[in-house]
Amino acid sequence: MANTKDVINGEEVTLEVKPGTNILELNKQLAEKNKQLLTKHNVKAIDIMGSIGAGKTSLIEQLVQKLKPKYKIAVLKGDLTTTIDAERVGRHGVQVLTINTGRECHLDANVVARAFERINLDEIDLLIIENVGNLICPAEFPLGTEKRVVVVSVTEGPYMILKHPFTFMNADVMVINKKDLAPIMKIDPKQLEGQVKEIKPDVKVAITNALTGDGVEELIKAMEL
Amino acid sequence: MHELAMATQIVENVLEEAKRHDAKKVAEVHLTIGKMSFLGVDQIKFSYGILVKDTILEDSKLIVEEKDGKIECNNCGYKGTIEIKDDPAYHIPVPTLQCPKCGQTAKIVEGKECTITSIRILKQEDKNGCKQC
Repeated sequence: MANTKDVINGEEVTLEVKPGTNILELNKQLAEKNKQLLTKHNVKAIDIMGSIGAGKTSLIEQLVQKLKPKYKIAVLKGDLTTTIDAERVGRHGVQVLTINTGRECHLDANVVARAFERINLDEIDLLIIENVGNLICPAEFPLGTEKRVVVVSVTEGPYMILKHPFTFMNADVMVINKKDLAPIMKIDPKQLEGQVKEIKPDVKVAITNALTGDGVEELIKAMEL
Repeated sequence: MHELAMATQIVENVLEEAKRHDAKKVAEVHLTIGKMSFLGVDQIKFSYGILVKDTILEDSKLIVEEKDGKIECNNCGYKGTIEIKDDPAYHIPVPTLQCPKCGQTAKIVEGKECTITSIRILKQEDKNGCKQC
């Protein structure tokens, strides 16, 4: 409840109200609700974040192919305006739902909660959520997933980890994608791995090529799936 | 990047609170923003200025206090400010969750908030006293 303090100030009454409303906490509470709902239905959920063009969708295609025999999967895809990616993933025979955010730079717990109304959670046991391509904002908005994965690729240059430390602080697993291009880019993925471990020592790292599937098994292990 | 969305929620929350207290005008809004959040104070203020036009928040002062990040280590119990690694090899200072005492991963316990701590509202004094009579 708000604390109030009345101050009489001439003709007007000044009132000091202390709402103490934490705007970011509201999302966290919704995320907690999502988590409880997923647990109730025995659904594991993974939030896949990462920069534009890092290879999030290609990785999800690989994950879906490899995990299909073991899990009943649904994929939620945050996308500003299109359904291009949803069609790509949908070809692998899993349920795909697009959340068109329009302008928003991230998914939040509220839009995910609304998307749950369109999925029968009793019919799935793994939910993969692809966040909007953005290395900054999604990290601030937990969705209620068990694990948070951040995907970067070597073509983004050698400094993307150092420049986005807060994003990696919120990650359980990090993927360094496009490993085949590392020599061309003159980047050592192991060096990137070292940098992320300095920011968050317990983060698990998978180095992948999402086009060939190289390293995807390690990623699955890192996600404990 | 999402400062406009956050500012919208701030303004909506303040308007709601003001309505609950029959405010005629809102004079001040005090906000605490954690340094571990992804919010830029200047951008929040800029968005706020646009959003309050033609509301009872117009002309109100937005006062922002920034709060430092604090971490806590579950392994050794360390609690303190977040450490910034300033390795000359990196050219940029990088904050880290590595516990300075034991090296394990610590948790952020403070500095991620965006809280409306208090608002000052103006009410027209009711000269007749009780509204019910």
